[in-house]
Amino acid sequence: MKAITRDILLKAKQFGFSDRQLARLWKTDEASIRRLRHERDVLPVFKTVDTCAAEFEANTPYHYSTYEIDSEVTITSRKKVIILGGGPNRIGQGIEFDYCCVHGVFALEEEGYETIMINCNPETVSTDYDQTDKLYFEPLTLEHVLDICEIEKPEGVIVSFGGQTPLKLAKSLEANGVKILGTSPDNIDVAEDRKRFGDLLKKLHVPHPKDGTATSLDEAKTIAASIGYPVLVRPSYVLGGRAMEIVYNPEALVGYMKAAVNVSPDHPILVDKFLEDAKEFDVDAVCDGTDVLIGGVLQHIEEAGIHSGDSACVLMPQAESVQVIEQLKDFTRKLALALDVRGLINVQCAEKNGIVYVLEVNPRASRTVPFVSKAMGVPLAKIAAKVMVGRTLKELGVPLDQAPKQIAVKEPVFPFGKFPKAKVFLGPEMRSTGEVMSIADTFGEAIAKAFIGAGGNLPVRGSVFISVNNNDKNYDLIEVAKGFRLLGFTIVATGGTSAFLKEHNIENTKVFKVNEGTPSVVDFIKRGDIHLLINTPLGEVSRFDELAIGSAALEAKLPIITTISAAAAAVKGIQWIRDQKSGVKSLQEYHLEVSSQ
Amino acid sequence: MPKRTDLHSILIIGAGPIVIGQACEFDYSGTQACKVLREEGYRVILVNSNPATIMTDPEFADRTYIEPITPYFVGKIIERERPDALLPTMGGQTALNTAVALAEDGVLDTYGVELIGAKLEAIKKAENRELFQKTMREIGLETPRGNFVRSVDEAAAFAEKVGFPIIIRPSFTLGGTGGGTVFSAEEYHAKVGHALAASPIHETLVEESVIGWKEFELEVMRDLKDNVVIICSIENVDPMGVHTGDSITVAPAQTLTDKEYQFMRDAAKRIIRAIGVETGGSNIQFAVNPDDGRMLIIEMNPRVSRSSALASKATGFPIAKIAAKLSVGYTLDEIPNDITKKTPASFEPTIDYCVVKIPRWDFEKFKGVDDTLGVQMKSVGEAMAFGRTFKEALQKALRSLEQGRYGLGADGKDEFEIALLDDESKRRWRERVVNRLRQPKADNIFYLRYAIQLGMTVDELFEITKIDRWFLYNVQQIVEMEEELKEYELPSQKYPEGIPSAKIQGSKTFPDME
Repeated sequence: MKAITRDILLKAKQFGFSDRQLARLWKTDEASIRRLRHERDVLPVFKTVDTCAAEFEANTPYHYSTYEIDSEVTITSRKKVIILGGGPNRIGQGIEFDYCCVHGVFALEEEGYETIMINCNPETVSTDYDQTDKLYFEPLTLEHVLDICEIEKPEGVIVSFGGQTPLKLAKSLEANGVKILGTSPDNIDVAEDRKRFGDLLKKLHVPHPKDGTATSLDEAKTIAASIGYPVLVRPSYVLGGRAMEIVYNPEALVGYMKAAVNVSPDHPILVDKFLEDAKEFDVDAVCDGTDVLIGGVLQHIEEAGIHSGDSACVLMPQAESVQVIEQLKDFTRKLALALDVRGLINVQCAEKNGIVYVLEVNPRASRTVPFVSKAMGVPLAKIAAKVMVGRTLKELGVPLDQAPKQIAVKEPVFPFGKFPKAKVFLGPEMRSTGEVMSIADTFGEAIAKAFIGAGGNLPVRGSVFISVNNNDKNYDLIEVAKGFRLLGFTIVATGGTSAFLKEHNIENTKVFKVNEGTPSVVDFIKRGDIHLLINTPLGEVSRFDELAIGSAALEAKLPIITTISAAAAAVKGIQWIRDQKSGVKSLQEYHLEVSSQ
Repeated sequence: MPKRTDLHSILIIGAGPIVIGQACEFDYSGTQACKVLREEGYRVILVNSNPATIMTDPEFADRTYIEPITPYFVGKIIERERPDALLPTMGGQTALNTAVALAEDGVLDTYGVELIGAKLEAIKKAENRELFQKTMREIGLETPRGNFVRSVDEAAAFAEKVGFPIIIRPSFTLGGTGGGTVFSAEEYHAKVGHALAASPIHETLVEESVIGWKEFELEVMRDLKDNVVIICSIENVDPMGVHTGDSITVAPAQTLTDKEYQFMRDAAKRIIRAIGVETGGSNIQFAVNPDDGRMLIIEMNPRVSRSSALASKATGFPIAKIAAKLSVGYTLDEIPNDITKKTPASFEPTIDYCVVKIPRWDFEKFKGVDDTLGVQMKSVGEAMAFGRTFKEALQKALRSLEQGRYGLGADGKDEFEIALLDDESKRRWRERVVNRLRQPKADNIFYLRYAIQLGMTVDELFEITKIDRWFLYNVQQIVEMEEELKEYELPSQKYPEGIPSAKIQGSKTFPDME
């Protein structure tokens, strides 16, 4: 073996090897490679993206790192802040976070800081060199971010705007002496660590669904039995609800544990009480350590169990008691202050039988920040960035709790058209790629426009197919079915649903399920005899039907509604379309109405 | 030519929700367009249903409509706002399709709205493949043999003529929805049906397959004085058959001879002129036969695209911004380059580095879907990286993806350690790797590394993957470098005091990282 020389180290870096890879090859850790690079003076230089291969002087500081001589970067003596972007888009981490990053940049420019962006996603506004004082187009890994911090020496780094990507770096950046602006990494950890978070909620007397952590199948069964089915199960430390499932009985739990995950003491399984039929809410807020600005309260149109990113939401909760809304806001304020949040916080809650439960707290930018900001006319991300560098909400003079005047709806869009074999039914795992918004004076208009904007065609007449699971055969379904009948729709339903509706005097035609005979619902769809589908399947038995109905409907480009609450919203939307009151209005006009209140 | 003073208000259509094939690159282009046009003193009216965009921030336009992007609702906005012009080239295919519908329905004429950026005729020539093929023939350029069919029978007749494989591309769909490459008659019938259903005009192109050819793109801009500049060349590492959005791409193009490149440039100029894009940017895709250099024109987008976002970031030349200025009458020589301030936008960018883009997929969220890559885009995002060499940029791009990889392997995430394999395992692995590489899949780049570690040659890999040998040699060099690095060891595991510590404020030591 040869001793490592400066030459070989430099050559490795020129070949693009990361400190991590070198640490692996040389059986040490990343920190030692970094130390070795400093010792041997193998440090990156920063070149400029200047359109002209350095032939003319560049005025725009847009840089990338490499291992050569001659750094082209100019370090100013201004006070500066680095904002870490969100990296490549993926399901669960998309454009919303880029929006927040760019707003951070705008706000800090207003506060007199030099703004420095680090990101590696070419699609975004944040990597437009025009938007920031300085742009480093670099991977968001500890090595690259530290390399930049070492030369720029910023006052601090903002990690809470770009989603999970920069957040994951917070602790190690802090351990390397970089100041993290906003909520402290330790408090972020309180929110993310189940044990610490549970203790906090207990201390604050905030209700939380029962839960437990299992390191074996037997333990999982014991926990589930003690907290009661249904339970939500998932591996610990997964994002975006990956491999998360709702199980209703011990058999399903065993099936899940065997098929989906390898449980072990190193890979525990989280078991939570699932609040069936609960209503879910999101609250986005900004806290400066003293005051809390409630940005907005969003009600999910889909009930609990569907990933918040996949659920349609309405801002200005519908038919919700004032007490519940006040409780949501109160818990948000309590938690924000207890976590000493400096900047954004998102609280996810559920309400069942009048009790509000806190499910999750994220002391960072959430997916709904841009939507709430636009609906309310309050730039939350900008306000949060200013708070992070020490401004108070009082100084900024923003109202702390504003009532919405219009109704805004957020509707997700899904890539099912691209993946014909994927299940079209929603669950705890997020699968939407994007969303649309609508804003209007009535819920019906907002829902209709959201549906249309998301590419779904709401039919104004024709036939609606209804097939629901036993849990859904209730008063809400009757109301929905009556609504469609009043609008002049005919109803086609499968066995159980058909009988249930007839019992309640709602006229309908029975249709076969796919494996029951012909003509089945799929034949009806293919013939063009169905114009809208309401299907809420549950359990393994209906899986075959799900796929067949789902793909037939996709092919025919028919809207599929998979929850009763969304169906109820659709009734209102169709009513609005039929009334032909349609008009358009700009955001500026809506915001004027808000501020002139 | 100075900017037009006969226009006062301009309507910009955004791209709507993020979907596969249409992501936040259109927020980037739309935001730039709004900014530039307002700076030029125009009243900007914007419609976009996507609340997560920067462009829909109320400060970016005079009037921001968060309304569905359909001809009906955009028509309502036109009726209410009476814009002088409509700029349809910033919001992807959604904006273009909506604008075409409004033009054809007579809405634009009724309210006296002029299409700027791309005229209806140019859009149609570029988007309608029959017209496009005809236009290409007229200027002496070749396109793959293909026919538009409106029924399964018509499709069958074409297949008899050219044989398989055949590519199916439904008309007017996003990211090629409903398309694919088929290798047998059986598969062909089913897929043509699917494609016809996916197309809003019930039409699909069936086309001779150029699978395995090299794929290139040029970003081109043209102004009213007929100046044409080539902003950037992009080469797809994955050959034809994999959607550009799903390919690893590199800028500038690496494997063309100067003669081939000049020929491609000249062709691009002829194409943008023949199609008639007068004031804006376009993206043109080419296929080059690796055996004889024969070049075919695949398609042209008469608008800002995903690739133009990439090209803008790769070169520093803001295509959307310049396109917006061209659309209101400026010419390239009148617009200063905002990086140098000295050179005009008619200077073509020169780059002295290499840029690599790698897509990111989320297949694990869609159980049961086919994760083989094809002509229909499946990725949900991408990362890009700069380096002085392809090797450096590739490894940086791989760690930018944030999928737990820190470069091209050797990061503790590999499926095997070559040194630990016995001969029998090597043989089995080799079989697996070869089978895997026969189909384009998401992380095949790692399998190229395995293949080379297992002793396969560049020529063998070229035969299997049709990835240009130049890229394969680069992968080989990274693997060889890794081997060389293994011959070294740290001088000592412990460091004496006095070694320079981090140069960050306040940092005295290097604690463990992550």
